[in-house]
Amino acid sequence: MSPSALCARLKELDTQWFAITDHNSMANCPAYAAVARKAGLYFSWGVEIQTVEEIHLLAYFDDPRGAQAFDQELYQSLLPIENDPDFFGDQVIIDENENILRVESRALINSSIWDITTAVQQVLAFGGLAVPAHIDAEVNSIISQLGFLPPSPDFEILGITARLNLPEYLQQHPELADKAFLRASDAHYLSDLKQGSCTMRVQEATVQEILWAARKLDGRYINNDT
Amino acid sequence: MIKLTEYIAAIGGENHTPALDPDEILISGAYVSDMLSDVMGSAKPEQVWITIMKHLNVIAVASMTGIPAIIFAKGHAPDAAVCDKALEESICLISSKYETFELAGILYKLLGK
Repeated sequence: MSPSALCARLKELDTQWFAITDHNSMANCPAYAAVARKAGLYFSWGVEIQTVEEIHLLAYFDDPRGAQAFDQELYQSLLPIENDPDFFGDQVIIDENENILRVESRALINSSIWDITTAVQQVLAFGGLAVPAHIDAEVNSIISQLGFLPPSPDFEILGITARLNLPEYLQQHPELADKAFLRASDAHYLSDLKQGSCTMRVQEATVQEILWAARKLDGRYINNDT
Repeated sequence: MIKLTEYIAAIGGENHTPALDPDEILISGAYVSDMLSDVMGSAKPEQVWITIMKHLNVIAVASMTGIPAIIFAKGHAPDAAVCDKALEESICLISSKYETFELAGILYKLLGK
């Protein structure tokens, strides 16, 4: 999904705020941030970290400098294995005009050597918000990999897939009743974008506000109804 | 059924829970998986669990399924918090330098299967 095509599609869908969460890298966030700004959309820096337990952990950042510093740490924690473009495609880093700046050779498909606890500590250290991705997914979710949500680290917000029936899910998982949820499209293609969003009442489009909305502070909320 | 002691000897295992006596643990097989949701649904009592997963949740999963011992492959060693919890739950933790395939194969042979 090129930045311009993505932003055009989001405008069609009346989506006002988005993040991209590429696997283990935020190298393409500057291009998307720039195009989003021009399109009048709110954008947050994000990444999907794959921990050593093969849990997918989303991290969102407000401060691009903090995000970039985090991204460098994350990169250092990836196994030094070369990407195989025949299987995984070319990992291109682009600018806002879709020119290819470089090709990332390290395999971003692999796991970080960080375990889930370390990954969360790192995200927090760089000012980010950590959200376990698609907890209802059969693979790469914190629940699929660890059997159930561990008591620590404590997550206030859990990611859910585009199509999950949340009330039904909560009946099966009463232990998650006090959690906040964030529905995401996990879109890899433009056609994935129609489903999988949520509505938030916030004062501004910042990651900090997502956390406050999760806590229902001063009338803020996250609505995951489909 | 064999004693866990015999298996530990065969794999050059290191016992991280020496307060538990592996001579008193009888095993009839193994379950091999690194995905805890899968282990929860499929592992059975009297099986050892062969894995490289070291998260603290392994102890809860072993306890729930009645697994008496976890065998960490490829020299993976659990940290102190995991060992403490294992002692509380009376689950024996063993590390071996062997890979999962070999660990399963050695047990398969020992059991005469």
